[in-house]
Amino acid sequence: MIKAIIWLHVLRFWRLRYSFLNMIVSNAMWVLLLILGVLLFVPRSQLPYALKSAYWTIACWSVISSFSSIVGGWTNFFISLGMVEEHMLRGISPFLVISGRLVVASLVSVVTIIFMGALVQSLFSIPLFDIRPEIALFSFTLVSVESLLYSLLVSAISMRSSISEQFLEILNFAVIGILIVPISVIPEGLRIFYLSIPYVAPAYILKVASGSEVPDLLIIATAISIIEAIAFLLIALLAVRAAESHIRRNGARAIGFY
Amino acid sequence: MSLIALFKSGVFLDLYFVKNNRANLVSFLLWPYLMLILMLGAGFLFGSTQSFRSNVGEDVDPIVFFVSSTLIASASLSVMWDVGGAVLLHRWAGTLPYVLLAPYRTSIILVMAYIPRYILWSFIQLAEFLPPLILRKGVDALIIDLPILSVSLIVGMLPLLGFSAIFASILLVTKEESNILSWLNPIILILSGAFYPSYLFPLWARVISQALPTTHTFELARLSALMSAPGVREVILIIGILLGMSALYNALSYTMLGKAEERALGSGSI
Repeated sequence: MIKAIIWLHVLRFWRLRYSFLNMIVSNAMWVLLLILGVLLFVPRSQLPYALKSAYWTIACWSVISSFSSIVGGWTNFFISLGMVEEHMLRGISPFLVISGRLVVASLVSVVTIIFMGALVQSLFSIPLFDIRPEIALFSFTLVSVESLLYSLLVSAISMRSSISEQFLEILNFAVIGILIVPISVIPEGLRIFYLSIPYVAPAYILKVASGSEVPDLLIIATAISIIEAIAFLLIALLAVRAAESHIRRNGARAIGFY
Repeated sequence: MSLIALFKSGVFLDLYFVKNNRANLVSFLLWPYLMLILMLGAGFLFGSTQSFRSNVGEDVDPIVFFVSSTLIASASLSVMWDVGGAVLLHRWAGTLPYVLLAPYRTSIILVMAYIPRYILWSFIQLAEFLPPLILRKGVDALIIDLPILSVSLIVGMLPLLGFSAIFASILLVTKEESNILSWLNPIILILSGAFYPSYLFPLWARVISQALPTTHTFELARLSALMSAPGVREVILIIGILLGMSALYNALSYTMLGKAEERALGSGSI
């Protein structure tokens, strides 16, 4: 069954390749537009630090954003095709099929980050990929897991009640505003509280990997990230089970995102 | 069906859209401020006003600079998406055959039905940005800045309508059901110097940017960010360039969209 789900998403990815290519180039260009604006404020001497910090924060956010739109946002399409009932009748959880979007979201995120980095690096001649790969990979794994579970939670809610896509986009945008703040500007007593905001700890780990943050709180951030991921998992599982049981009793209401 | 009827249908379409999509209205009003806050917040976190002025090479107010840039960026995006992407929306809704078979040319329908929306929304955004403009430059400065920004919004729209209709003609002949040209929107904004002035780009990028109508609209709107009063000659020169581009791009789009329409009807690709 897992093989069939992965095959479905790979096949769809290939069928809509131009659309995904468009999404990758488009994401990279929006990021470049944003970075260019921010860099206008930065003195030349601070450029390498500011660029690295801004780039890796945005890379982390682009994973969160891609997962929530590619996984969570796909629910609407899945519901409107009538696929929820079809899968449940055959004993397959619709959320398992939706989780298969992990393949597409990961592919889009990886290619976007590489393309975006290569573009920014060539424009400013500042090495962006000079990072600690094992820490970066660990951070990206944590962010991906948290984002996938958050997307499943949103999917589960959207099976029972309407969810405004615009508000989710605004929420996504607010996340980047929180992630971009360097930990050094947060008062010392509030740093752990700051790291406890969802996604902040993995983003901090990524910034440590890139050398744009000091690694003083690395162990605490790792612990917070893992606890957060487990909490996300439990909440998502509960929401998915509740949604499935609701659909079995009441049927899919085809609400989703609007 | 007269042109006034087309215009009126555009007005009603928008009023009812707002009435039935409150979330869309709220998000529309919030987006420009979110963009502005993110850009300025990150900018001040990593740098300063002094560095900004030194990098830009002009005595400008960074907040007014980004307010005018954000205003024009959202207005330009709206034109590019709503005129350029209208073909796709009609295709998704199943109304494209009616648009193509209507007595008016597709380009006329796309443009006439869109103008009310553009005027309504761009001026709502201008009103939305008045508080930061007043806070930074005072009420007196609005006597000069408000006309500059209003003229930028209106005159800047004219060439962009034709420019976007050219993209609509490409989408009309391609058989993709998603907007495979949306990657051009941020590239056009980057090359137009939306948040990073085009005169700081390398020569090849400056050459392309001069051909884009949005570059001149940004230049015109940003005159409001100058600490001193902008020169009348400069304002008139930019308006002249934009009017010249309007004639060029609208003539080009009229021809291209006509050809695309014929091809779509001939091949049954609607």
